[in-house]
Amino acid sequence: MSVIPREEWDKYPDIEISLNVNGKDYKVKVKPYERLLDVLRYKLGFTGVKEGCGRGECGACVVLMDGKLVPSCLVLAVRANGSKILTVEGLAPEGKLHAIQKALLDTYAVQCGFCFPGVILAIKALLDRNPNPTDEEIKDALSGQLCRCGSYLRFIKAVKLAAQYIREGKEYFDESEVRG
Amino acid sequence: MVVYIPRFNVYIPKDVSDALNVLSQRKDLIPMGGGSDLLVLIRSGMVKADTVLDLWPLRKELAYIKRENATVRIGALTTVSELCESDLIKDVRYAGLADVCKKFSTPFIRNIATVGGNVGAAHPLSDIALMLLVLNGKVKLLSKNGEREVDITKFFKGKRQTVRNHDEIIAEVSFTETPHNSSTAFIKFDRRWGHAMGYVLVGAYMQLRGNMIEDVRIAFDSMGNPYPERAWKTEEFLKGKEFSDELIKQALNDVLPKEMKRITDYRASAEYRLDLSKVLLRRALLKIKSRIEGGD
Repeated sequence: MSVIPREEWDKYPDIEISLNVNGKDYKVKVKPYERLLDVLRYKLGFTGVKEGCGRGECGACVVLMDGKLVPSCLVLAVRANGSKILTVEGLAPEGKLHAIQKALLDTYAVQCGFCFPGVILAIKALLDRNPNPTDEEIKDALSGQLCRCGSYLRFIKAVKLAAQYIREGKEYFDESEVRG
Repeated sequence: MVVYIPRFNVYIPKDVSDALNVLSQRKDLIPMGGGSDLLVLIRSGMVKADTVLDLWPLRKELAYIKRENATVRIGALTTVSELCESDLIKDVRYAGLADVCKKFSTPFIRNIATVGGNVGAAHPLSDIALMLLVLNGKVKLLSKNGEREVDITKFFKGKRQTVRNHDEIIAEVSFTETPHNSSTAFIKFDRRWGHAMGYVLVGAYMQLRGNMIEDVRIAFDSMGNPYPERAWKTEEFLKGKEFSDELIKQALNDVLPKEMKRITDYRASAEYRLDLSKVLLRRALLKIKSRIEGGD
């Protein structure tokens, strides 16, 4: 662990990239070694992107990039140039909760909540391509999401509930209603 | 807390010839496919990178799955999830690749990990490399001076070492379509579902005529060297014989232990790995037999 000398920063050029995060366009200057995670979390302020392990093992940092679930800690920011990113902040409009979030609350799956942005997006990626998944498919889709509180079994219930909500056409819920 | 982040430059090539050009001129470039392996190595300090050559922009040229002239050709920058969503793995002959898809790391890594990267990483626990070994795969290497095809059995030199020269990139992996009375299987044994590395990996290909083993190819994550290899003697023993429990028992107890050397490390002991190799090979062969006969 060492502090980076100031003069070394200039060795690496700034590269301007354009990103569309949650439907809004951004132009941002990045260093070549910066990851999508650094840009989203520290430069653009989307703190729903969590850094867990930083090496693609925990699934806390996943985002949907052009509709595909990717670990933002293993994608260089320059590679994400021009892509459409969805983080957990953009899942539902202001003041609303997405069916997945509602289902996770209903099943009391949320404990500490650190892994949740990743879990929610992994569930979204699953339900987008498979509206009615089986237990096995859910386990496979969430196999990369580590939850040290151990809510795994409740995830399975929650995915089925969320799938049911979406099938019934209830994709968004009023936040005030859910919180009571 | 100050966290040390390794810094490096990235070269973003316009197309394949641009990438090959810059590779031939500069010695300090490290080509990167998906990045799921290299970025972790750089971050943990195991690889010192000055400039990384990002191959991702070459996906418009090198990401494809083609089946023509009885050959299956897979572009090196095809992601594992693209391979898993293709029609290729629905073919019962390549059911082993479908097994890989179920066990390959996690869904989000499959979205960035590439076929060529899995082969080029030359890690013993490379699932796709193992399947290519049993499918008699070939690796196409491109450089500024031309291209060459290397048999995958001769591709690995050591752990994370391949015969790839510095100025070459892996462009494609290919294998000849296998006969219709054949199938493949892949088994990875680990405690976990996601991110499983596997204590033992086995890939197998078998061609049956009636009950007779016409051809068989077996690959393990390690036969003694730290890279995936074929079990040549066991294959030789099984070839041309009648498929039976007795025969497999004989191969597992008399032939395989003689050619396989396992290591003990913090994950598993050598004895356990050897024992597991026998059990998994037996399961793989039985699985292939039932696949050829129409079951699963």
